[in-house]
Amino acid sequence: MRRLAPWVLALAAGAAGAQSGTPAQGPAAGGLPVYTLDPTHTFVSFEIRPAGLSTARGRFDRKQGRVAFDRAARRGEVEIEVATASVSTGVPAFDALLRGESLLASERHPTARFVGERFDFEGDRVSAVAGTLTLRGRTQPLTLRATRFACYANPLFQREVCGGDFEAPLRHRDFGIAAPAGVPEEVRLVVQVEAIRQ
Amino acid sequence: MTPAKRSAVRRLLAAAALCTGAGAGAAPASYVLDPERSFVHFEVVHFGTSTIRGRFGPAQGSVLLDPGARRAEADVRVATASVDTGVRPFDARLRRDDLLASEAHPEAFFVARQARFDGERLAELRGEFTMRGVSQPLTLRALHFACRADAAGEVCGGDFEAELLRSSIGATFGLPFIADRVRLLVQVEGRRR
Repeated sequence: MRRLAPWVLALAAGAAGAQSGTPAQGPAAGGLPVYTLDPTHTFVSFEIRPAGLSTARGRFDRKQGRVAFDRAARRGEVEIEVATASVSTGVPAFDALLRGESLLASERHPTARFVGERFDFEGDRVSAVAGTLTLRGRTQPLTLRATRFACYANPLFQREVCGGDFEAPLRHRDFGIAAPAGVPEEVRLVVQVEAIRQ
Repeated sequence: MTPAKRSAVRRLLAAAALCTGAGAGAAPASYVLDPERSFVHFEVVHFGTSTIRGRFGPAQGSVLLDPGARRAEADVRVATASVDTGVRPFDARLRRDDLLASEAHPEAFFVARQARFDGERLAELRGEFTMRGVSQPLTLRALHFACRADAAGEVCGGDFEAELLRSSIGATFGLPFIADRVRLLVQVEGRRR
């Protein structure tokens, strides 16, 4: 484990820098313990099968957010914001198309934001987070379902880390995005998140 | 149904027949992978808590399909240095000797000479996967696979998945905190030559 330390700590230091603009220091409103998103293990991705053949995957590379979470009290609040222009599919021409006016409209709507205010539990695991997604200037309800959730003592940070995998179907029409011909109505949102207790 | 609608439906049915016919033609056909639609993604679980994802690509290669004879062959390769997780220090760490060893082994490749079909639909590709200089048998299961005709000819493609233990190729860094089991998701589309 010691071999892991130098580079992971360097990443964590970078993460702290990236988060310095967020207000998630000290206790959150409502007195819930505060967690800082680990940007190296927090990603918003999506999957879509545009022509019925293969699945295209994309990811938003710039993100920030904050989490307040009390496992014992079964309460939590989360806010994750991504820069829509940071979309990355591995194909620059697709990225440019996605940023365009008819799809993400990144110039007019540089960020997309999920605010989750209701945490559902099964036992002591988070099973879903319900809230709203604001995309392309429109706000709609969205529930992220957990396919995996755990908390563990991270030996490098010497802190508790909680996180999981979440997903939700998203109808782009709900956000004013007109799907081109042949593109399915729904995108699958896939969210990986880990957060470090402060 | 109006005559105009009937004629439109007939045209659609004809196109559909052409479409399935193309993929299930009597003669074997070869396809070149489309670099804009061919990528290999991987998923590995971090501390039993969340899934790390990354992609390699574009994948390059070719596929030979002969559904009538239930035969398929595939040659697919990716540059290991193309790994992209969205975190540059991770990518650099992944390229090092105890993981991808990208300098010594710049390519990972899959060579399949056997296939399983469900009817005339490609269901599995069985072959040998080489990464980090270690070759081992690997089966890619088709989650879906289809062919369709378009203005420029014919395109076939789908999603495949496979699992491997990274320890089996000597990529051991971070075990057991970062899981041994790696899920590969292969997205491919090929255009008929």
